[in-house]
Amino acid sequence: MRDRHLKYVLVLPAILVVFATAVWPLFESLRLSFYFGKLSRPNFPQDFIGLENYTWAFLEEPAFWNSVWVTASYTFYTVVLTTLCALGLALLLAPGGKLRRGVQMLLIIPFAMSPALIGVSFRFMFNPEFGLFDAFFGFVFPPLADISWLSDPTLAFWVCIMADVWGWIPFLTLVLIGGLASIPRDTIEAAQVDGASGWRVLKDVTLPQLAPVLAVVIILKSIFSLKTFDQVYMLTNGGPGTATQTLSHYVYFNGLKYSNIGYSAAVAWLMVIPMIFLTYAYAKFVFRKREA
Amino acid sequence: MTEARMLSGRRKKQFWGSLHLVLILAAIFVMLIPIIWIAMAAFKTHVDVYQLKLQFTPTLENFKIVFDAPYFLGHKLMNSTIVAFVTVLFAIPIATCAAYSFSRFRLRGETMMLVMILATQFVPAVVIVLPFFVMFRDLGILDTRLGLILVNLAIVMPFAIWMIKGFIDGIPIDTEEAALVDGSTRIQVIRNIVLPMAAPGLVTAGIFCFIIAWNEFLFALILTSKDAVTLPIGLALFKAEEGDLWNLLAAAGIIIMVPMFVLALIIQKHFVQGMTMGAVR
Amino acid sequence: MAGISLKNITKSWGAFVGVDNQSLEVHDKEFLVLLGPSGCGKTTTMRMIAGLEDPTSGEILIGERIVNDDLPKDRDIAMVFQNYGLYPHMTVFDNIAYPLKVRGTPKSEIAPRVNKAAEQVELTEFLHRKPKALSGGQRQRVALARAIVRTPQVFLMDEPLSNLDAKLRVTMRAELKHLSHQMQITTVYVTHDQIEAMTLADRIAVMKSGRIQQLGTPEEIYNDPANLFVASFIGSPAMNLIHGTVKDGQFITAGGRDVMKAGKGNRDNIVLGVRPEDLSIVDAGTGDFDVPVYAFENTGESVLVTGQFGKQRITAKGGRHVRKEIDEVVGIKADPDHIYMFDAKGGGRLDL
Repeated sequence: MRDRHLKYVLVLPAILVVFATAVWPLFESLRLSFYFGKLSRPNFPQDFIGLENYTWAFLEEPAFWNSVWVTASYTFYTVVLTTLCALGLALLLAPGGKLRRGVQMLLIIPFAMSPALIGVSFRFMFNPEFGLFDAFFGFVFPPLADISWLSDPTLAFWVCIMADVWGWIPFLTLVLIGGLASIPRDTIEAAQVDGASGWRVLKDVTLPQLAPVLAVVIILKSIFSLKTFDQVYMLTNGGPGTATQTLSHYVYFNGLKYSNIGYSAAVAWLMVIPMIFLTYAYAKFVFRKREA
Repeated sequence: MTEARMLSGRRKKQFWGSLHLVLILAAIFVMLIPIIWIAMAAFKTHVDVYQLKLQFTPTLENFKIVFDAPYFLGHKLMNSTIVAFVTVLFAIPIATCAAYSFSRFRLRGETMMLVMILATQFVPAVVIVLPFFVMFRDLGILDTRLGLILVNLAIVMPFAIWMIKGFIDGIPIDTEEAALVDGSTRIQVIRNIVLPMAAPGLVTAGIFCFIIAWNEFLFALILTSKDAVTLPIGLALFKAEEGDLWNLLAAAGIIIMVPMFVLALIIQKHFVQGMTMGAVR
Repeated sequence: MAGISLKNITKSWGAFVGVDNQSLEVHDKEFLVLLGPSGCGKTTTMRMIAGLEDPTSGEILIGERIVNDDLPKDRDIAMVFQNYGLYPHMTVFDNIAYPLKVRGTPKSEIAPRVNKAAEQVELTEFLHRKPKALSGGQRQRVALARAIVRTPQVFLMDEPLSNLDAKLRVTMRAELKHLSHQMQITTVYVTHDQIEAMTLADRIAVMKSGRIQQLGTPEEIYNDPANLFVASFIGSPAMNLIHGTVKDGQFITAGGRDVMKAGKGNRDNIVLGVRPEDLSIVDAGTGDFDVPVYAFENTGESVLVTGQFGKQRITAKGGRHVRKEIDEVVGIKADPDHIYMFDAKGGGRLDL
């Protein structure tokens, strides 16, 4: 077969799989979002109701707005904290040496850990009677000793954030170490010879050159933060009350617990919208690299 | 430079050097402590686990219990293994063909296809799972491994295509052209030249996808209930009425994470590349 | 054995034209070098002959046959790549044997032919190694052996020496010349190195912007450049190019200060070209004109004296014992048989 035909034959199976497993369900969800669809009743999906699911979410559901708020603040805090911690750790490890190779190996380990398991282990660590972190915080700051972390709405939210940040620091650190390593050494050395202090070198030379990698890292982390489900499900299951109910959890709850498929499809599609912008930004970085 | 100044300069260096070391060690400690704590709990008796003890008599009892009735973790282990393995078995050859074509040829709508593949990775899983839940219910394949494998392809394919494409991009095209001139057809080139040279990359991508499929949670939570339950969902078994059975949870946790740690260490160099899909190198 | 002919070949990618309506005849058993700066279309031309790139329009013939629609494997060619294109997972033996194996040569024939090819490039003792364990020069030899193990109709070589260090390049150049003399096979060789082109070629095609500027023997290219580009591209140190006008058989430099006897008639916008080796350094007042020395460089085997007049400079090559000081005034004398005149606007050669 000539290349000009073969090349399309080769991509066809992959495109079909992607269409069937991702593109079709995406648009099927969109279609369902215009229906009143209760899976528990016969003749699903029952009635076409236009945009009513969306207006219902916007106008009648404080729980929806609660999830939007939880997801937005969760995303903000996890992105900021993870990026800052990872940047700090990457800068600590940047000089290289034996220690770094060892640490880099260790950093892989938490990242291979299933998010669900991270949720479980943090629930364990913050157990008020025998949790290690609970005991630790009680020890350094005695007023915290008797606190039941996961029953307090604010604290439970912050435990979720801690678990998320803990789980993502290794990955971001590894990416940033790679980014730091690709900065030409002589630009940093030139700044040092020119008389810049360590802090100035970081601010004037290192960070500006790291900016594209930082941008990629922030976009990627935002996407994964917005989608968060696994560890919140295992850690707090959205509770106490709805204090940690992210949008993904809200969709799961409405769709699967109350079998309200039409409504949850509408909310799920509202999640897709910010993703489109983030994906666009991310694709720009990917293809800018390709052309370079 | 006076001697005093030299001395203070050296002191300063020593101070920063040790602070540096202390910070790194602290970071390692924070990263590892939850894992170590879980690992320890897995070997504690159900009495010891409810105390903050560092010294205890290790026992393998927990591992025995989780595989026995009523938990039957072996069944979940089997499900996880089969689902992840078959997903990879389908994903890698399909992704390799596509990745080769994307890497070596200019296609009509190439950028659009690549962006589409990239974008599917970022679609929230809850969006995708709803129609599948409805469809699987109608087809009667809810709670089967087959259903789970199908949806797992959705998450694994984009990673596989982008990752393998990265590996093939790294193979010098000279070698393939030499083979074409030397008398090979395109198919022979792929079989004799590209596959052997890309083999380590394909294995890496396969392991990476295996880890992702193994750790997958939301699809399994929604699409399985009893027969096809995978390990991460199995964790929910150990929430008893009287509270969480931490020693058993920890033992199950060990069974979930240790194989993945080993696999992750094998492919550690490429982990970052896989996750970022070509945006950083 | 066969010649190659390109008939009105064009290769474009969208609006970008890589090769522009180009025709070329390569004779049977000829060693033809495509020479030019990067991006001039020389590699694209070769890749179209190999079938690795399809021409946008035009015909390619190898021997009597139009090969436009033939796959590379069906064109009966062998090619040496810039980065060698060795198969890293195969031993040297298997690398060399691959063109035979994939064409279904009987097993009994393969070993002797591989051994003979390896012997020709002095690789016999490395046959069991993988390419990774070879030096750059040895890899180059494997690539050559793989090309000569069969007897193809055409050899194609894409900058084969450019990845070698300077010393090895000279050695390999001589070996390549010897080998091609032995093989007597039509060869197209792409390079940007004019010395490689001069030493190896039967004929050189100098290319720029997708067009052949001049096609001729190395002597013709060197001694009779067709235009300003060829004149300036060939020769090291480069030909002096001096702007000026011709008036009544006198060349007047653009500054209007210096005059030498050259050309005939009247014409503006002239570039006078003369090679440094066609200029001699003489005492002030005895040459065509006098200039103060701007720079004096001793290369060991000769010296280069650069003089300045107005805003232009002229470099002359002198014997290795000549010594001059900066700002010293020297006389420069040109060999009247090797002065070239070009049109400054179009770049064409003028017969003045």
